[in-house]
Amino acid sequence: MTFFANFCIPFILGATVLFVTITIKYISWLKSLPKSDLKLIVKGILSPQTLVSIWEVVRESLLHARIFRVNRRLGYMHMSLAFGWFLLIVVGWIETVAYLGFRWVPLQGHVFFKYFAALNGLNAHIAIFDFVMDLLLLFVLSGVTLAWYKRRNSAKLGMKRATQHIFFDKIALTALWFVFPVRLIAESITAGIYGGGGFLTGGLGKLLAMTIGSGALEWVYEPIWWLYSLALGIFFMAMPFSRYMHIFTEIPLIFLRNYKLRPQDKEKSYDNFEVEACSRCGICIDPCQLQQQLGIHDVQSVYFLRDRRYNMLQQKIAHNCLMCGRCEQVCPVGINLNTLRLNSRTSMRNIPNEGRYNYLRGKDYSSGEGKVGYFAGCMTLLTPNTLNAMRKIFETAREKVWWADKDGGVCCGRPMKLTGETDSAQGMMDFNKKLFEKHNISTLVTSCPICLRVFREEYNLKGIEVLHHSEYILRLLQQGRLRVKYSTEQTFTYHDPCELGRGSGIYEQPRAVIEAIGQLLEPAHNRKNALCCGSSLANTAIDDKQQLTIASGVAEEMDATGAKTLVTACPLCKKAIARGTKSKVVDLSEIVAGNLK
Amino acid sequence: MKHVIIIGGGVAGMQCASELARQGVKVTIIEKESDTGGKVKNWHKLFPTFTPASEVLSGLRHKIAATDNVTIKTGCEATEISSNCVGLASGEELSCDAVVIATGYTLFDARIKEEYGYGIYDNVITAADLEEMFNKNDVRLVDGRVPRRIAILHCVGSRDEKVCQRHCSKVCCVTGVKQAIELKQTFPSADVFNFYMDIRMFGPGYEEMYREAQQKYNVHFVRGRISEVSPTIDNRLQIKAEDTLTGRPLKIGVDMLVLLIGMRANDMNAKLESGNGLLRQASGFMQPKDAFLGNAESNVDGIFYAGAVTAPKNVAEALCDGATAAARVADWLSKKE
Amino acid sequence: MINFGFSISRPRVIDIDRNNLNKSKEIIAEMPELQACIGCGSCTATCTAGNLTEYNFRKVHTLVRRGEYQGAYEELNKCMLCGKCRLACPRGINTRGVIMLIKRKLGDF
Repeated sequence: MTFFANFCIPFILGATVLFVTITIKYISWLKSLPKSDLKLIVKGILSPQTLVSIWEVVRESLLHARIFRVNRRLGYMHMSLAFGWFLLIVVGWIETVAYLGFRWVPLQGHVFFKYFAALNGLNAHIAIFDFVMDLLLLFVLSGVTLAWYKRRNSAKLGMKRATQHIFFDKIALTALWFVFPVRLIAESITAGIYGGGGFLTGGLGKLLAMTIGSGALEWVYEPIWWLYSLALGIFFMAMPFSRYMHIFTEIPLIFLRNYKLRPQDKEKSYDNFEVEACSRCGICIDPCQLQQQLGIHDVQSVYFLRDRRYNMLQQKIAHNCLMCGRCEQVCPVGINLNTLRLNSRTSMRNIPNEGRYNYLRGKDYSSGEGKVGYFAGCMTLLTPNTLNAMRKIFETAREKVWWADKDGGVCCGRPMKLTGETDSAQGMMDFNKKLFEKHNISTLVTSCPICLRVFREEYNLKGIEVLHHSEYILRLLQQGRLRVKYSTEQTFTYHDPCELGRGSGIYEQPRAVIEAIGQLLEPAHNRKNALCCGSSLANTAIDDKQQLTIASGVAEEMDATGAKTLVTACPLCKKAIARGTKSKVVDLSEIVAGNLK
Repeated sequence: MKHVIIIGGGVAGMQCASELARQGVKVTIIEKESDTGGKVKNWHKLFPTFTPASEVLSGLRHKIAATDNVTIKTGCEATEISSNCVGLASGEELSCDAVVIATGYTLFDARIKEEYGYGIYDNVITAADLEEMFNKNDVRLVDGRVPRRIAILHCVGSRDEKVCQRHCSKVCCVTGVKQAIELKQTFPSADVFNFYMDIRMFGPGYEEMYREAQQKYNVHFVRGRISEVSPTIDNRLQIKAEDTLTGRPLKIGVDMLVLLIGMRANDMNAKLESGNGLLRQASGFMQPKDAFLGNAESNVDGIFYAGAVTAPKNVAEALCDGATAAARVADWLSKKE
Repeated sequence: MINFGFSISRPRVIDIDRNNLNKSKEIIAEMPELQACIGCGSCTATCTAGNLTEYNFRKVHTLVRRGEYQGAYEELNKCMLCGKCRLACPRGINTRGVIMLIKRKLGDF
């Protein structure tokens, strides 16, 4: 039996390029992983995490469960293409075995089986395979149709904007669009000439033979198989250089992630797996407020990852992001978008500390004494109502407090980290850490979610519990050390600050505090889907008017709840939202201090 | 007899009413407060002559009382406005031949600039609060003590993107100088510090008054905007600013801080725009038909403006505006016949 | 102590005729809002770093705009980028963006 024809050459070439490129890529990435990451892999590989990963690969890489959750039509589209194609390959393989028994068949023999079956005179068809293969082909074709339709009409698929692609993507995409329709025609023509085929290819084959005659069919027979092989070959060749690299990369990523590998402050080899696992589905575009409200279309995570992958990332793109985490929240691949953007910024802007903050040495403007330390945060010094409320709360709860920064403190370091000057930020962090340790506190309360996050995640404060004031206040209420008046007359709405909500997972504590005082009315976007106030320190690119536009949108949504008072729990959010409304905007601590029993 | 409705019984509205009434036009003033006089009735003395505000008001009231043509409806709010009819909150509808909008301005709510501590700390007061204290002849700290050091901060709620008030309120600089002098007259041994970004002395006698404050009254002028106010242990106020003329940060403890709050556009201006098609400026103040030759007319026939409804203005300008509007209305009424 | 500039050895006169204004022009072209500064000093007054050491953002960016670059990068490195100044600025200048831009232009990022 022969399993070679000249038309197979483009396919064989493409498959070889694909295989070699991917192997080289993976080996080089794995080889340059830092030692600590390699250790994690060795530890994880024999653990149950491997089984967990296999199941996740089925769920995500084939069935696309996460996309389904965000957008059903889009989920179906991805699933039909990925799972459908996968089944075509698997069932195709079984089909060959069924016809030929267990024997070695070269790759093209499986892929172009219909052609070689006819060539080798295997005319006794197995109907069940004809039917199943046709059904699967139809399944995939429905996905292709949806994908094609989405390109032209993204809104119909529930996406306001689809991704703008680069050259390689366009080639691969065009080739991909051709693959399945051409396969349909090629197999139909084969069936038209040699018989066989299921309801789809068989039916279409008969129709073609009837309408244009078998002579004409024989004339296009070879060219159409050439075309099919070419489409596959081109697609495979473009694949490792295009977004379709995600098809393979997501699989090792799932394993590595389950082995607890994560991107960090500074770029490292593992990041490649995350960057190239992005399918550029564009689900991250719609939730971006820079897109929605400011009409900025080239900075979203999908473009950031694309630019980073092809080494064409510009500072102005990397820095134009609120890092609110709304895109990370919906990313179906679960890429750590914020951390990757952060370490890109670090690569662009990090400078050695070189004693930039030597002037801090010996400075200590803190006051008071107590086991509880209160770090207001730089911004909170501009919202004295919060400071006053906290003072009143501490007094009422009879808490002895050490005031860390009331008369001038040192920034927590996160704002600087967000701009990429990671090593310098460490200078400030070291200073504050020593200050906390020197004053021997056991609890550290802060009113600023930005500070909270860095204290918790990066200060490594041993023996000091770090609390946001919302958590602290709730604890005082639960312990009975604070008592508040409740009235249904008082209506509040609450804005989740990004760093507190998505950043630190604190959603329920502030709500519990508000509900102890009055009625809470939720804005349209809340909790994990909460909007960003626009004043995020992570963005140094947008101007004041743009910040105001975003803030006004947030304020409008809060006002729409009809609540009398707009509550938030971050000084930056408070200042931002207050610009966009005439309603009263307060910090959580203020409503507590104002309603003490 | 022609009937003109004037919305707002402040100085501009009263001036306009008296001028029209003198020419034999029937005038109704709609005033939402219990008495006429607008913002001026809460003011003590007027710059640059230190004329008591009450003198100006009583002069205007005399002029109005001299004719029988003016009806004043106080405690009354206009809800619907068109050139021939005004609807009141009570449901009453008044027909007329022309309308003058003399609704003035709104004082900036100093609590919005939270960092200055108004409503948070004792002894942070606004310029309006200080005038009230002067009126009661009772300027002192909350605990009854006499202030030994006072700071006056210019541009609170003016020229500030952060509170969406980009315009200059124009009169605060002069007010700040005037109040500094009055404070020095009341407490000769106290130190008064004016914190400013720019000093804009645009009117006659203003520059001279500024110089007098510096030279005769020894008022200190610091070129720098206050960034934060915080309380001290001895219940004073600690102020942070940059002394921009020396390029160094400055801290000062004071007993009292006076915020020179700016003039902002009334909220109702937005409704005038959406309901009546009247044009509004970016600042929120109403847009006259023409900046030069039509500054008392609106872009809608039969609706006129007088006073600070179109821009921050001082009392003299508002009075001038009232007279101009009266002349324009009279002209319009005569053409309408 | 009288502080005339970044260091006492610098000439007193800001000689705009002799200063090379190219960098200054580039900076202003990228962020024209910097020209909107009215020198009120809010940024410096509120500055977290300025509270602890001699650092004056208003003065540094003004000098940079005049073509006086020497020492500016080192001065700006005292900044903690905490962002208080951006909240305080009555002209709505993106102060953190300005600091990063000047550092990029003068420090070859």
